[in-house]
Amino acid sequence: MGRNGTDLSGADRDTAGRPERGNRGVTSRTVYRRAVAAYSVAMLAVLHAPLVVLIAYSFNDSRINAAWSGFTWKWYVSLLGNERVLEALGNSLTIAAASTLIAALLGVPAAVWLHRRKRQALWSGLFYLPQLMPDIFMGLALLILFSRLDIPLGKWTVIAAHVTFCVPVVVLFVLARLSGIGRELEEAASDLGATPRQTFFRVTLPLLVPAIVSAMLLSFTMSLDDFVITFFVAGPESTTLPLYIYGLVKRGVSPEVNALSALMVAVTVLLLVGAELVRRRGETAARAAQPTRKET
Amino acid sequence: MGKTSFVAKPLTATVLVMVLALVLTACGGGAKQTLNVFSWTDNFDEEVLESFEEQFDAKINYNTYSSNEELLAKLQAGDSQYDIIQPSDYMVGTMIELGLLEKLNKDNIPNAANIVPTFSAPPFDPTGEYSIVYTWGVTGIAYNKKYVTDVIDSWEDLWNPAYKGKVVLLDDSREVIGMALIKNGFSNSTQNPDELRKAVDDLKALVPNVLAFDTDNIKQKFIAEEVWIGTLWSGDAAFVQAENPDVEFVVPKEGATIWADTVAIPKGAKNKELAEKFINYLFEPEVSAKNFESIGYGDPNEKARPFHSEEYLANKTIFTSDEDLARTEWLVDVGDMLQEYDRYWTELTSGH
Amino acid sequence: MLRRGGFFAFFPLAWMILFFGVPTFLVVLLSFRERGTLGEILPGYTLEHYRRLADPLYMGILLDSLIVAVVVTLLCLALGYPLAYHISRQSRRSQRVWLFLVILPFLINFLIRSYAWVILLRAQGVVNTALMKLGLISQPLPLLYNDGAVLLGMVYGLLPFMVLPVYISLERLDRRKLEAAYDLGATPLRAFWHVTLPLTMPGVLTGATLVFVSSSGMFVVPEVMGGAQSALIGNVIQNQFLSARNWPFGSAMSVILTLASLAMIALMYRAFRTAGGKEPM
Repeated sequence: MGRNGTDLSGADRDTAGRPERGNRGVTSRTVYRRAVAAYSVAMLAVLHAPLVVLIAYSFNDSRINAAWSGFTWKWYVSLLGNERVLEALGNSLTIAAASTLIAALLGVPAAVWLHRRKRQALWSGLFYLPQLMPDIFMGLALLILFSRLDIPLGKWTVIAAHVTFCVPVVVLFVLARLSGIGRELEEAASDLGATPRQTFFRVTLPLLVPAIVSAMLLSFTMSLDDFVITFFVAGPESTTLPLYIYGLVKRGVSPEVNALSALMVAVTVLLLVGAELVRRRGETAARAAQPTRKET
Repeated sequence: MGKTSFVAKPLTATVLVMVLALVLTACGGGAKQTLNVFSWTDNFDEEVLESFEEQFDAKINYNTYSSNEELLAKLQAGDSQYDIIQPSDYMVGTMIELGLLEKLNKDNIPNAANIVPTFSAPPFDPTGEYSIVYTWGVTGIAYNKKYVTDVIDSWEDLWNPAYKGKVVLLDDSREVIGMALIKNGFSNSTQNPDELRKAVDDLKALVPNVLAFDTDNIKQKFIAEEVWIGTLWSGDAAFVQAENPDVEFVVPKEGATIWADTVAIPKGAKNKELAEKFINYLFEPEVSAKNFESIGYGDPNEKARPFHSEEYLANKTIFTSDEDLARTEWLVDVGDMLQEYDRYWTELTSGH
Repeated sequence: MLRRGGFFAFFPLAWMILFFGVPTFLVVLLSFRERGTLGEILPGYTLEHYRRLADPLYMGILLDSLIVAVVVTLLCLALGYPLAYHISRQSRRSQRVWLFLVILPFLINFLIRSYAWVILLRAQGVVNTALMKLGLISQPLPLLYNDGAVLLGMVYGLLPFMVLPVYISLERLDRRKLEAAYDLGATPLRAFWHVTLPLTMPGVLTGATLVFVSSSGMFVVPEVMGGAQSALIGNVIQNQFLSARNWPFGSAMSVILTLASLAMIALMYRAFRTAGGKEPM
């Protein structure tokens, strides 16, 4: 198969030049493929439209996002001097990273275990509950719990709350993936003499990686974005970015926030481009070391 | 093993970053006293806070909420870790009844005497033992005179069909229903079900003309001219006028709701003395002047007058005239009727 | 195997019970308590809050909200599946880039992005100004402050919840089965309907459930982008805990919402269990 999956080659046509029976849909398949590709690009543009607007307005010389008044860097400058925003940002990132990691460490074993149980649907249902409960309900409930147990509010109470709604995402994603894998691979591994641990780490886990990574990505954004629950369980020194932003709203969201968003986007892009470059250098080295191995 | 290292590298990096961050944050905070302030955003001038930190060798943690009820919910559900809170008028009354406020030691707050007599013994805290008025405002009608050419002097003007789709109302059940009550000649905190029903029926005729209920972005809506007329707080109106001079503000003839933000100390606060010093500091005449000019709301501190700019003192929107003030009414707790208010609000905002 | 697996499952389960089960239980209990005049909780127990809910006003809003949630889910599915499909057909490296690009906007705070939509869609916003400059319309289109805007906002916010699970299922799809279908003469549409879709059912169901569940309680979008009468059950519940100071009533509403949603999800799983599920590969 070609790089993007097209299989239009001369061998697909019969002697009269018509597509063979198995390839009758080939032309329309390409049409569909192109349509889906065009659609995806358009969709991506729509997803990014607000981002473009935000970044544009971060240069707007007016405190209110009402009309364009002129180009300025001043919001970026004042952002760097705004301790509260930077503190909130630092807290948010730390909390999100910690929550995502802990959620993954808890969620993957849970999903693997659940996968083997009989009434999987019932247990899955249980894991949807945290997402289903209204945030304000969860936030207050957790606050009541913490205060009954005399746990002082701080970063760790926020992390605990975030882990609680991230674990289900990990569990559900991994379960969905496991449902599609089937037992043959694990059985094959056992047949070849692998212990259960080896099977898990060498066979199952690598297959689960896309699900785990996607779940972690989603959890990270959920944690970064959470407002209501965090509002109730955060302590005085653990203000997060959403708390800061939602608080700003009454007085008008300053373009500093736009500048911050623009910077976050820029930094993330740079980080990932950097990681990708490092990766590729690693791959080239690995490939050079084993020239006969096929790269999938 | 391409796939696992794809996960392992970012994972290890994340763990390291996280551990580092947690270690660093744990290492902060030396022997300084901390003051935990829980308030509205941008309610203090940054420099005022910084100079307090210097003068009293303290660190201020400034957390925010955007509604009185969020403040109440957080205090009710768990231990308060805050030293300074800023509830509004009716909320102070409720908090006093629920026993959520500390009595203020006025010996530590001599500057409390600087407050204008009108506000030194407000109806929601008659003894003045629990709170001090921080700022106040009036909810009136704002309108864009470019599009609204009629004379606006009555709440009835909001109902004018010429403004269909260009009306905005505050997203606040007590404010909006209170406004309709005042329009019909009743108290804005009535507990009489018939009066309430009459006001709500009146509102039901207005809602189809309303573009949206909004408190958070209402200033932008006026500045960007998405709306022409609506209910607005006086301080917000002053802000809008600075950005869009076509907007006028008026206190209608039937009357209006007056409100105040206070400063208070929640029960069980760990740094009560420092909190009292903070309140006292806020009402130093020079500090007051700087603070209130920066945040753009009315200054209740008499002694601060000589330090204010001409512009600020002359601003009629910020400093409501006495004759307008005479027509205003405070919102008070409505007890069990709150359920009825809420039910009507649900009807109004859901279209059912 | 079970025993060892069970050991590892202990921690997550204990965590969920402590941080989710116990608080939920406390709040469910709360729904049976009496509310005092000032909003405080009185010692007695009562069913009054549930009785108050059995009222056309609240039931009507609940139904509306569930319908909106279903519509949002279907839209997310229709809009998200093709995108996930496209991504899964890319090379490994391209897939990473695409996923990153899809997730990137969601790193930015949802409220801020909603405000950006306001800038785009309002009467003097970017879209209307552009359309008017191009001469396509003479009056600005009412793109905001109505139910349509609420749908847009919700779909926009929840798309990754659909795209990611569907992508995970698609990525695992065995191309040979598709090839077999084509060899047997299937058109692309038939191949999709009979092969691809059933095999990606686990991902579709996960995505659909996540989207449904998240949209039924949403309150930010109706507040920022909705009109004067767009309040949904999420907003009403929010009010109970805040301005109405009636936590028991709010809890009762949350419980009913949860039960109704669970019922709908169970129905969905039952309906699609035959269509997809655990086919051995």
